[in-house]
Amino acid sequence: MPVRVVESSTPSQDSGLESRTGRPPPPSCSLLSAGRAFSGTQNVSSLQKDEAWKVNVRIQGIDLDNGYLCGTMEALNVPLADTPVVTFWEGELVDGNNFTFFTRKWEATPEDDIRHWSKFPSFAPLLSQVEADGGKNMDLSNYPYIFMRWKEQYFVNVGIDCGLTIAGFYYVCFSCSDGSINGFYYDPNSSPFQKLELKCIPGGCSGYTFSSYQLL
Amino acid sequence: MPASAANNRPEDLTARLGVGAGAAQGEALLKALREVKNQIIGNKTKKLLYLHLGAVPKIVSVLAAAAASSSSDSGGISRGGDAAVIVQAAAAIGSFACGVEDGVRAVLDAGAVPHLTSILSHDDEKVVDAGARSLKMIFQSELAPKYDVLQEKNLNFILSLLDSDNENVTELAASIIAHSCETNEQQKALCDAGVLLRFVSLLGGSSNQKDGCLESIAAVIKNNPEVSSRFSCTGNGKALNALANLIQDRYPHTRLLACKCLIAVGHASPCYVEELQIKTKLVLVLVELLEEPGRVGNEAPFSLKTLIADDEELHKQALSVNAIEKLCSILQMSSVQARRLQGILLALAELCSKLEKCRCQLMSPQVLNLIVDALKHDCMDVRVAACDCIRNITRSLKNLSAGCLSSEAFIVRLVQLSHDPSTSVQIAALGALCNIVINCATRKSVLIKCGGVSQLVQLSKSMDSALRSRSVLALRNLMFLADITDKEFILKELTLCTLASLIYDSECSIQEQALALTSDLVDGCSQSVKHVLAEDSIILDAVMRQLQNASSIGVCIQGMFVLSNIAAGSESDKDTVMNYLVPPHTDSCIPSFTIKFLQSKDILLRVASLWCFVNLTDPASVGSSRRVARLQDAGIVLQLKSMLNDPCLDCKLRVRMILEQCMELETAQA
Repeated sequence: MPVRVVESSTPSQDSGLESRTGRPPPPSCSLLSAGRAFSGTQNVSSLQKDEAWKVNVRIQGIDLDNGYLCGTMEALNVPLADTPVVTFWEGELVDGNNFTFFTRKWEATPEDDIRHWSKFPSFAPLLSQVEADGGKNMDLSNYPYIFMRWKEQYFVNVGIDCGLTIAGFYYVCFSCSDGSINGFYYDPNSSPFQKLELKCIPGGCSGYTFSSYQLL
Repeated sequence: MPASAANNRPEDLTARLGVGAGAAQGEALLKALREVKNQIIGNKTKKLLYLHLGAVPKIVSVLAAAAASSSSDSGGISRGGDAAVIVQAAAAIGSFACGVEDGVRAVLDAGAVPHLTSILSHDDEKVVDAGARSLKMIFQSELAPKYDVLQEKNLNFILSLLDSDNENVTELAASIIAHSCETNEQQKALCDAGVLLRFVSLLGGSSNQKDGCLESIAAVIKNNPEVSSRFSCTGNGKALNALANLIQDRYPHTRLLACKCLIAVGHASPCYVEELQIKTKLVLVLVELLEEPGRVGNEAPFSLKTLIADDEELHKQALSVNAIEKLCSILQMSSVQARRLQGILLALAELCSKLEKCRCQLMSPQVLNLIVDALKHDCMDVRVAACDCIRNITRSLKNLSAGCLSSEAFIVRLVQLSHDPSTSVQIAALGALCNIVINCATRKSVLIKCGGVSQLVQLSKSMDSALRSRSVLALRNLMFLADITDKEFILKELTLCTLASLIYDSECSIQEQALALTSDLVDGCSQSVKHVLAEDSIILDAVMRQLQNASSIGVCIQGMFVLSNIAAGSESDKDTVMNYLVPPHTDSCIPSFTIKFLQSKDILLRVASLWCFVNLTDPASVGSSRRVARLQDAGIVLQLKSMLNDPCLDCKLRVRMILEQCMELETAQA
């Protein structure tokens, strides 16, 4: 996937709102930016037992023009691992241009897509249009939720023989108002609808902080 | 033992050259000249030896005398003999000038050019050929004199050469033009004189003639939209078609030169080489030429880089014809010549500038090791190209996050190059370091351990703004998500005084980077706020001063993020920010600069300013009610209420957040 130089972790510095290219402007939010951390849990319950892992996520970079973002996910108290397990993931922003609500890969059919997106209450108003064409050319720039898919690419600190799988991907819904994240893990070979629930970490002791880098 | 063997020693031969007493005459002179010429052709050592012996001025004097004699009315054997001497003398002079800079210098110092020029109008075609070939050798050197074609006599001279039926002479004209044509005015004068038309008509000639014409066409149209357009319109596109055919010529050198011409047209007047089809063909031809030996293979990567520069579509085309594989396989050959290596690395750097696919292809340890080796090359241009390559490879967040390029070797070498005597190398090394320190604690740690921070700090004080800019950016990126120990270390090396002076830098871009660095310093780190307030708040004062100056939007944005981050701290930190934003006892008729920022057309500036107020009105903080009241008095709450329907969703949400917090505080008080 082509990746343009990601300039700043803070959202695009366009002064205007109109898209220069005639395409819908990308959804963006200052709480979804590089450096931002989120913390919460992933429920990995199965029929046998109830289990939840603590999860920390950090956004490493975001490229709104290409609908791309990436980050790390750290799972704590994983039974099979001695240490927290860190993975690197890449994300697709559903912007109606680069990516629609239809996944079209990773063994996810449009029916799987609709079934998962519909688990998010914020998706309901969009359902009929998405059923028609996946939400192509849908302008989501003013919608207070950002929808994404996150796919883990590799383990950062453990080997592939650690007994864990990263075969599936997450359907993710991000709330622009408070930065909270909900997600559902999809993997045909794992328990369905494992839920990811994260809250945005403000960063400061009493307030939100922001940091940034610039790629040259 | 034959006597002639002893007489062919360079010292003896040189002694026989020249005019006047002591020099050979007639047949003996001719023999000596021929022998010298035969000895020096293709033999640099012999050329240098004869130069040292002073052979060149002697041969030039022989040429001058023979040319003068030949032009007089003496006929018959004498004239024929003069012609033979002229031919040998001219050939020897040309050979001295071929590929040896000292030889060119000696030939020019001896005044050979006017004499060689004078024989171009000789009756004897062999003499004309010898003169033309010799002059062509000279004009291949940068040291050769330049003909200013804006002077009528020079232009007329070149036109007369161009009109000749003799290929060597027309090739000479092409060489002179390629060498001398520098300014737009010169290009226009040549174009007006019909030179380009003549070149197009000569493109059907021999290979050498074609090549000469192509080089000259490129020189005349380069970066000149008017001349390039006129050329492109010539004969209803006949000229462009001729070039397009020549990119498939049987000779690699001709193909390369034709490509260069089309690239020059494409840059100067893009509408004539717009079609993807022709550009795709050019990519294909140049990628094939990469594997040619010699000068063609050396120059092909430079032309490829120029062709595809900044064009993502052409990057994809190059990728589809395996450009990266070919470039990497040449890179892996043993003893690649410096010029070729530079070209390969620059072409790879260009390909990696936009496409993630290209960057991933260079991630093999083998290739990366070769690039690290190139960082140590003797040739400065190769070191620069290697740094540019690394800089562009490290635009890949995926590869940076994977821990690729975390080897100490890379970072240590780049830090060493930041000390390089050449500024270009320093700038290039800093560019690579800017990216490489992002997102990886290991790399940050290596940089710190190998003294990189002190070097970056040193360069941040450079008089050269490019060095300052990149070193400050590298420090900023280093500071991003660094742990508290590293942050403290960086700040200790940098000092508050230097940071303040960078915030006040004469360049807006450097002010912005310094403010972003400050913002990253205080990000999430309440202890670091004390630094911003230390030494009589030298840093916070600098931030406020720049916010009030508002020299650029970028400066204002980063400045507001600094304040926002401080305001995320303790109660007293919030009050400090509040006192700066809304100083007590201020005339409320003067709008605070923050109101101007909230009214800005720039979304990010509005967002940054809003977050500051989110933090100042945090309901969990004891003094927030007090601050809200002051914001009310300063007209800021009113401004916020007017933004409830801000066209930007992010701004709207933050405004609502602030107003909800204000209401919550009001309710709690009631």
